[in-house]
Amino acid sequence: MLPFPRARSGPLLRSVRCLSSRQGGAMNVFDRSMKRKQKQWASSLLDSDKYDYLRDEAGSRVADRVYDVSRTFPLALDVGCGKSHVAEHLSKVEPKCEIPGHCVLADEEFLPFKENTFDLVLSSMSLHWINDLPGALRQIYQVLKPDGVFIGAMVGGETLYELRCSLQLAELEREGGFAPHISPYTAVTDLGNLLGRAGFNMLTVDIDEVQVNYPGMLEVMSDLQGMGESNCAWTRKSLLHRDTILAAAAIYKEMYGNEDGSVPATFQILYMIGWKPHESQAKPAKRGSANVSFANLSKISKLQTVHQKTNEKP
Amino acid sequence: MSSSNVWTRSRARMKLFPELLAQCSGEAAAYGKCVASTTTGKQELTKNMCVKEFEALKSCFQSAAKKGVK
Repeated sequence: MLPFPRARSGPLLRSVRCLSSRQGGAMNVFDRSMKRKQKQWASSLLDSDKYDYLRDEAGSRVADRVYDVSRTFPLALDVGCGKSHVAEHLSKVEPKCEIPGHCVLADEEFLPFKENTFDLVLSSMSLHWINDLPGALRQIYQVLKPDGVFIGAMVGGETLYELRCSLQLAELEREGGFAPHISPYTAVTDLGNLLGRAGFNMLTVDIDEVQVNYPGMLEVMSDLQGMGESNCAWTRKSLLHRDTILAAAAIYKEMYGNEDGSVPATFQILYMIGWKPHESQAKPAKRGSANVSFANLSKISKLQTVHQKTNEKP
Repeated sequence: MSSSNVWTRSRARMKLFPELLAQCSGEAAAYGKCVASTTTGKQELTKNMCVKEFEALKSCFQSAAKKGVK
């Protein structure tokens, strides 16, 4: 873990979204209209396919997780589908399987669907720009049918920590203070709480770290811009001094550079699976209903053979 | 062909940045080491703590830019 210099006073070195404190009031962290403009600009680029690699990778891993669930889903919703990265990978596994789709332009925080509509809700790489994440998760919970599942992927945790640290150190050294340039991410530990509060059952959360190597810091930033992932938090500084850019690029290369001269950028993708409760789901057993004792743990191999014998009897 | 405005011009200028920085890799490494050393040491990073290394990097960068324009 990289030791951070401690500023004597001022904001936290790393802004973390505090999710457990607010109950009903919506947080307003991101300028959503700005984000829409950024995404439209990014998609209007002639070479916008160049920047799809991260979303494609996350989409394929989400599709893997969908196939891991041994159920068929007649109706599914992809929240923030972008260029339908997940649907592409879902149809790749079963060749010549056409998944008919319908695109709806809507806001993730105001889902225009009736309750209990979908068997499966997916979300890949779009939840990190939502202002009211608890509210959005609750809405996803509502549009799911009972015994429906939500499989999501979002960037979080320590994503882009190299870029964040380089910019912080450069601004400290050049300007005497720093402002947040990387948007605040959800920590892994918060994610379980969030899903539980929204009502989901049988949660699974895991992290995947994707490290992409770039020639330098400028390429990292221009690729992020091309992906439509530019900062749109209300607290963002609109200006980055050229001295700071130069300093940050030098710091990035020196502190994080690889031997071959490239620099890595880390994306921590958090995958989450949550089920809407239903009677058919396994529930924790009642207290006192155990019929095997922990004291028999040493005899577990004998217990297994007994179990097999009883199963083989006709 | 879209018109030339301040955004297209500044974006074009930023595209030259990586090549120019590559010509000053020595100064950049020196500056980077100076800043990195403050993260491990006891003293905190304050403004202009590595100003000498930065000035060297900046002047190298500016002379590379001047050469590039010609």
